[in-house]
Amino acid sequence: MTQENRSGRPQGRPPEGDSRLTRTESQLRGPFLLFFISSVIWLLAASVLGVIAALQQGSLAGGPFRDCEILTYGHVAAAQHNLFVYGWGFNAFFALNLWLLSQLGRFELRNGWLATLGGVFWNLALTYGVVLIFAGNQTGFALLEFPREVGPVLAVAFLLAGFWPIVAFARRPTGHTFASQWFVVAASFAFPLTYLLAQLLILWQPASGVVQAIAHSWFVSNLLHLWFGASALAAVYYFLPKVLGRTISGYYLAPVAFWSFVLFAGWTGPSALIGAPVPLWLQSVGVVACAMLIIPVIITAINFHGTLSSEGGWSRAWNDTTLRFVSFGAVAFTLFGVLNTVFGFRGYNSVVRFTSFAAGQEQLLTYAFASMVLFGATYFVLPRLTGSRWPSAKLVHVHFWATALGAIATIIALLVGGWENGKQLADASVSFQQVAKAGSTWNAVLSVSAVLLLVGHVAFALNAFGMILKSSAPASAGRHD
Amino acid sequence: MNDRNRHPDNNRPRRGPSGAGSEGPSDGRLVEVHSQLSRDKDEPAEGFSLTPIFIVFLFCGFGFWAGLYLTQNSGNFAPSAFDLNAPKAAVAGGPVAFEPDAAKGEKLFLANCAACHQATGLGVPGAFPPLAKSAWVAGSEERVIKAILAGLAGEIEVNGVKYNGNMPNIGAGLKDAQIAHIATYVRQAWGNTAEPVMDTKVAEVRKAIGNRAQYIPADLLKEHPLETK
Repeated sequence: MTQENRSGRPQGRPPEGDSRLTRTESQLRGPFLLFFISSVIWLLAASVLGVIAALQQGSLAGGPFRDCEILTYGHVAAAQHNLFVYGWGFNAFFALNLWLLSQLGRFELRNGWLATLGGVFWNLALTYGVVLIFAGNQTGFALLEFPREVGPVLAVAFLLAGFWPIVAFARRPTGHTFASQWFVVAASFAFPLTYLLAQLLILWQPASGVVQAIAHSWFVSNLLHLWFGASALAAVYYFLPKVLGRTISGYYLAPVAFWSFVLFAGWTGPSALIGAPVPLWLQSVGVVACAMLIIPVIITAINFHGTLSSEGGWSRAWNDTTLRFVSFGAVAFTLFGVLNTVFGFRGYNSVVRFTSFAAGQEQLLTYAFASMVLFGATYFVLPRLTGSRWPSAKLVHVHFWATALGAIATIIALLVGGWENGKQLADASVSFQQVAKAGSTWNAVLSVSAVLLLVGHVAFALNAFGMILKSSAPASAGRHD
Repeated sequence: MNDRNRHPDNNRPRRGPSGAGSEGPSDGRLVEVHSQLSRDKDEPAEGFSLTPIFIVFLFCGFGFWAGLYLTQNSGNFAPSAFDLNAPKAAVAGGPVAFEPDAAKGEKLFLANCAACHQATGLGVPGAFPPLAKSAWVAGSEERVIKAILAGLAGEIEVNGVKYNGNMPNIGAGLKDAQIAHIATYVRQAWGNTAEPVMDTKVAEVRKAIGNRAQYIPADLLKEHPLETK
């Protein structure tokens, strides 16, 4: 594995100051590590909760924790979902987006304490919200489960912590821009807007009846596509050419991918409401948006897979830790896009409605795509910022195989299980009891893969924290290798 | 133009200025080269690719399909259309069930009837009989509908006062629903308290009387005697 031999030495390092870091990197080291460490802690917490939730769901008798009120499925699943999204997904992308745009814009973060403050607020609000979820105080809207007073704090914290990429973009020295920058800027603008509007329409000034459901579906689709999707796409656009040392093939198509993605992703929400009492035209707009999302998916497929396909790119990607994760994610994104289009249509959608299929699609986007890309990015960025090597190559292997297999098993179980489930539910000759029994095999798979994911995340955390601890001496203390 | 930017299109591995081996290009260079790529797409370096033109057609096809799908599956963008498999009338946004609406009736009354009967419904003494508190419009809805559809000609006594009226067949030019709205308004305005009238009833009466001449009030009374004086 070539990764272990990487010196962690970036180009163009300045003569003064810390010899290992560019000025850009040394400025953002503090906030980056805060975001990154908290993201990994939340990821571990979410994985443990994921195992508990899978065990609860997998047992028809109520699971091993059936006598513990705090650990009922409703609490654990909601807390797991929120911790994974807001704890892991947001903190990690705060770190990566900041690093990415600082690098691309040669931006020196001056008021890093503001970002740190935002990160502290974000994580405190998150802790408070999760405690309240366990106390049984949650709203009925997925990903908005935190009681409403948490919302404004998260929004302000986002502005403090997540807005720096936009500053970095605005202060870039040249007029040239790169695809990664567009996607990160779009993500940094889209999330606070949709979050505030959703908070307002659903929790603070609740709109009447069905409008809440529409606003909620809009919020979730924006959160998944424009935060997770766009941020992870930005990372793929960066790391492929960066590590392979070649240009993106068909790069002239990338602006089309960007604009069509931003345009259609925001409209895909109502397709989750097919069959609900929302106006027909709105449902159809959702279907059309899901279908049109195939345009950015095709273009990114040309960009990513085209780049990887030439000159032995795939084998080089396989032998490089960063690219192994990133190209896994790139393939997952293409798969997600195709599934999203096909199952946006009414005929297929009516089969998988009310099953685990939607959760499978979400896992495909947030885990198999976004999280794997984040892992890959970490293997690239962290050695540069800490100046040390990854302590254990074995743990890197454990991390990759556990998460990759865990993700594949989870997603197959949710998708195929959901499809079977939907077919049986639509068949009047199959009793509900039979349907529930048929799903128990898939539930067992889900439990095993939740454990696999936990193992992978523990390996990742051990490795990352080991590396950070090794370099925790003051930056001027010199190199460790 | 910088010398090292000359052949940006050929996917050749590129080294950063510091020659950092497998690390790839520096970030500044990465941005520069790609921005070059998106500007200079007119100079294909090796061979001509059909991909761009194919993609343009493909995406135009998607857009065309999207337009078709939206127009065919959106129930005319009516806010009340929820279900793709609902009856055509419901999907088209038309009224599922008729609701007699006195407000619509008032507008129609002002346009078609108020010239004679006045907006106050009191008519003109000696010329046009009143509708307010009139026994003719209360009670049997068929009497009202027939009067509107076919008109009245001859001596008529309303609220103890005799008129020699000539009411044209106003209703012949109106739709069933419009007549139902007018009749509902007339039967509920100015202190009148009769039941509303449905459009199906109007259609029924129109079919029964066909295309006939004006009623003589006395004949109409034989068919539908006044319920109250």
